[in-house]
Amino acid sequence: MSQPDRDSIVEEIRSAQIVAPPGLRARVRALAETAPAAIAARPPHRLSRRRLALVLVPACVAVAAAAALAIGLTRPESSGSRDAVRGEASPTTLPFAAKAAGAGSSRGGAAIPATSGRAQLYEAELTLRVADLSAATKRALRLTRGFHGYVRSVEYGSGADRGSASLVLRVPVGSVQAAIVEYSAIGRIVDQHVSIQDVQPQVDRRFRQLQAQRDLIARLQAKLASPALSAAERDRLEGRLVAARRRLVVLQKQQAALRRQTSYANVSLDLRTKDKEVVVPSEPGRIGRALHRSGQIVADEAKVLVYVLVVGAPFFVLGALVLGGLRLSRRRSEARLLSTS
Amino acid sequence: MHVVAEVPSFASVAERHLDDVHAYLVYMTRSREVAEDLTAETFEKALRQWHRFDPRRGSARTWLCRVARTTALDHFRAEQRRRRREHAYVLDQVGEVDDGVFGGLSPELERALASLSAGEREVIALRVLLDLEIESAARVLGISQTACTTRLSRALKKLEERMSADVAA
Repeated sequence: MSQPDRDSIVEEIRSAQIVAPPGLRARVRALAETAPAAIAARPPHRLSRRRLALVLVPACVAVAAAAALAIGLTRPESSGSRDAVRGEASPTTLPFAAKAAGAGSSRGGAAIPATSGRAQLYEAELTLRVADLSAATKRALRLTRGFHGYVRSVEYGSGADRGSASLVLRVPVGSVQAAIVEYSAIGRIVDQHVSIQDVQPQVDRRFRQLQAQRDLIARLQAKLASPALSAAERDRLEGRLVAARRRLVVLQKQQAALRRQTSYANVSLDLRTKDKEVVVPSEPGRIGRALHRSGQIVADEAKVLVYVLVVGAPFFVLGALVLGGLRLSRRRSEARLLSTS
Repeated sequence: MHVVAEVPSFASVAERHLDDVHAYLVYMTRSREVAEDLTAETFEKALRQWHRFDPRRGSARTWLCRVARTTALDHFRAEQRRRRREHAYVLDQVGEVDDGVFGGLSPELERALASLSAGEREVIALRVLLDLEIESAARVLGISQTACTTRLSRALKKLEERMSADVAA
């Protein structure tokens, strides 16, 4: 016999006829006949996984966007977000005193008078917008002197575009009401704040302490005048007398300081030239705000998605490795089985 | 234009591809009796899984071959377990193969085929006997097309060598 070649082997195998025996054919036919008509192969129009993904992914994106838009339209606006949009130009930032006086008025500062006959700490803060910073500063200083007050500190700065001056003035309490009115006339009131603290009870208490110390000193002096005192007793009484006098001096100084404080009012005057026009972005409308909120929600959704991907990625990779390993193991097992069968 | 694949009935598929499935299993098992049982089992299994068949992913013949392969693998595993229990390897002996089991081939080719492993015989059955396309054969075997080609080439070479050795002897 001649040496077989590959083509002849292939031809011979192809020409071979292996036909199922009639018994097997009958078994399979019987099996097919018993198949219920309801069992049908997968309909061809059914979506494949790839097509399903092509439909599902845009659908999910659309649902997320629609949800964000719906929430953005229906969610009530938070005050914080509105303030953030409006910026610092909100009139509510002005204190009540300025509102009472009418913010923006050129005259008529809300000068609350100090109560006469009572010791009170009077503090006033005025912010004024002026046209000529130098002239306004000079005028403020002149007015202070006119009211028999004095200047505690001045900070003056003037640039090409804008300038400001901060003055801390001390004005006699009796004249402070008139002084504030005059100061207010220097420029346009931007902000105003007045604070009055009554310290009369403190003054009265300290007066009683002074009186008590004076009485104590008088009693000690009377005792020391007695010739019947022993040396030790005299030394003790003299020590107490020195301490009482020292205490009296301290109380007198404190009382004097408090009287000085209450006799003059502190007036902080902040003078500013007109700022350059700041372009404040116009507040968006309802649709704009809704879109803004929707955008924020979409951004939040994207953050969640990224978080899920970042957190889930190792598990996905691990799962893929496990599946790949199992598949490889199964294939090797099959190969071994087929090679030995 | 969207092409809609035909959905054949199970009865027509079984009638058309019975011989192919049977021949494939004969090649894998080297036994007509075993192949007969496995063919019947394959079609029973196919009927149960018929709702999973998707004509767009491959032909009915390819799908049936995959079911047949799974059935054969289950059979081999069961045989392996049985042989382990009995410590007998009689089925590994080529001499036990029925004569003419591969459909009336020359005795040298029959012996050479019988000496191959089931893995080698199945690739010959799919690619040569059933004349499946390389893509379909690779899908049945669960390997790449390149691996399928390599496996077929090695199997045919081995077949050639064994036949040559047989003739020389």
